[in-house]
Amino acid sequence: MSLNMNNQTKSQFVAVASITSELSAVMVVAKEISLAAANAKAIAFRAGDKAKGFQPITDFINELAKETIELVTSINVYALSLYQLTVNEYRKTVAYNKFEQVTKMSEGAAYAQSMQAPLAHAQLSMQLCQRQFKRDVKQLLDQLEAVMHHARAARVIAANSRIEASQAGEYLQSLQAVAESVDKAAHTIHDNVQRCRIALSLYRNS
Amino acid sequence: MKMTKIYEGSHQWIMFGRDEHKPANIIDSNQYAVRTANRCLLMEPGGSELFAPMMAAVLHHAPVEQITDLFASHQDPDVISSLGLWDQALSSAKLHAPALWESFLRHFGCESIEYVPIPDNGGTIKLDSVELQLIPAHYLHSSGNFHVYDPQAKILMSGDVGAALEAPGAPMFVENFDSHIEKMRYFHQRWMPSNQAKRAWIERVRNLDIDILAPQHGRIFKGDDVKRFLDWFDTLQVGTAV
Ligand SMILES: [Fe+2]
Ligand SMILES: [Fe+2]
Repeated sequence: MSLNMNNQTKSQFVAVASITSELSAVMVVAKEISLAAANAKAIAFRAGDKAKGFQPITDFINELAKETIELVTSINVYALSLYQLTVNEYRKTVAYNKFEQVTKMSEGAAYAQSMQAPLAHAQLSMQLCQRQFKRDVKQLLDQLEAVMHHARAARVIAANSRIEASQAGEYLQSLQAVAESVDKAAHTIHDNVQRCRIALSLYRNS
Repeated sequence: MKMTKIYEGSHQWIMFGRDEHKPANIIDSNQYAVRTANRCLLMEPGGSELFAPMMAAVLHHAPVEQITDLFASHQDPDVISSLGLWDQALSSAKLHAPALWESFLRHFGCESIEYVPIPDNGGTIKLDSVELQLIPAHYLHSSGNFHVYDPQAKILMSGDVGAALEAPGAPMFVENFDSHIEKMRYFHQRWMPSNQAKRAWIERVRNLDIDILAPQHGRIFKGDDVKRFLDWFDTLQVGTAV
């Protein structure tokens, strides 16, 4: 449709589309963490007693990565339905604005009054869409909060790993590298998800 | 939007066009309505830019709930890109359009409106006691294309056939056929692809009793100008871009 979009609608489209791209980056990084965890497990196994404190940590990292991947997968489904909702809302808003235009232009027409019912109906379904959008945004924000929580936990674990690594003798360097990469990955996830949340929070109460 | 009654009998034909608020870079189009006692059919309802002025104009003739039928001769945006808006305005209407274009036209949005596919050999639309005939006009210019013939009013709504590229605010009717030719020539030569399709259509249409030939762009032909148009079109070579 060759109809003009207002800026609010445009930025809503952009916000929703950006979630999908940020999340796919999160996915890549979460998979990296899970790889780092497997790597750490192998090293810790070889290090034996020297890396005793490290072994449960690797399991924990792995678990965290898995949960993050699952969470992001379900968030993606939400983001898709949010996109569909944005498209619908846009269509309904366009129709409502056009119908308003009709009522202005048809002043004095014999059957002008008959436009009131479609106008009221269009307004209602536009508002329903807007409400549904806000509800879905709120739920998405909650889920993103859960991912952030995971990322923060991963960073704490990475800090613990560094301490444990310092007792691992000749394995110190490789275990420290593992801790480093978990920390970096968690940092990236945190940043990406934060960007999603900022983009979306505009629409929570707007 | 200007409104002109082109037939008044047991039912009415109304032509809508020459919309003064139309953006300059959009082709001007004629929309038509057939109004019977309790129903109203809109033919070639137009592009989405035209929806509001068109709906407002129709409200002079029929209430929204009596707009029960839409017709699209083919899939072009100037004909029917407003479909998605009509779809949200009309709660139980039918769109009569070529079966060939159904899955394409649905891109404009067609959820509450029922798509009534017109088979290749044509069909009819019944409005109260009026029966309109859907005349095949394939490849003129679209590969799935129909015109609407009203045997009672003796009007043929001929879609893009008979169209002319005019300056804004041109009169509604052809006044001097010879001087009108130059406004039609390029359009028909370039948009119409097939001489064979053109011949088949002329043969079919010559058998109809026509007082008014009403195209989707430009001016309406009346009386002897209808035959003049058919004769001129008959000799014109079309599909000239290759
Ligand atoms: Fe066309
Ligand atoms: Fe056209």
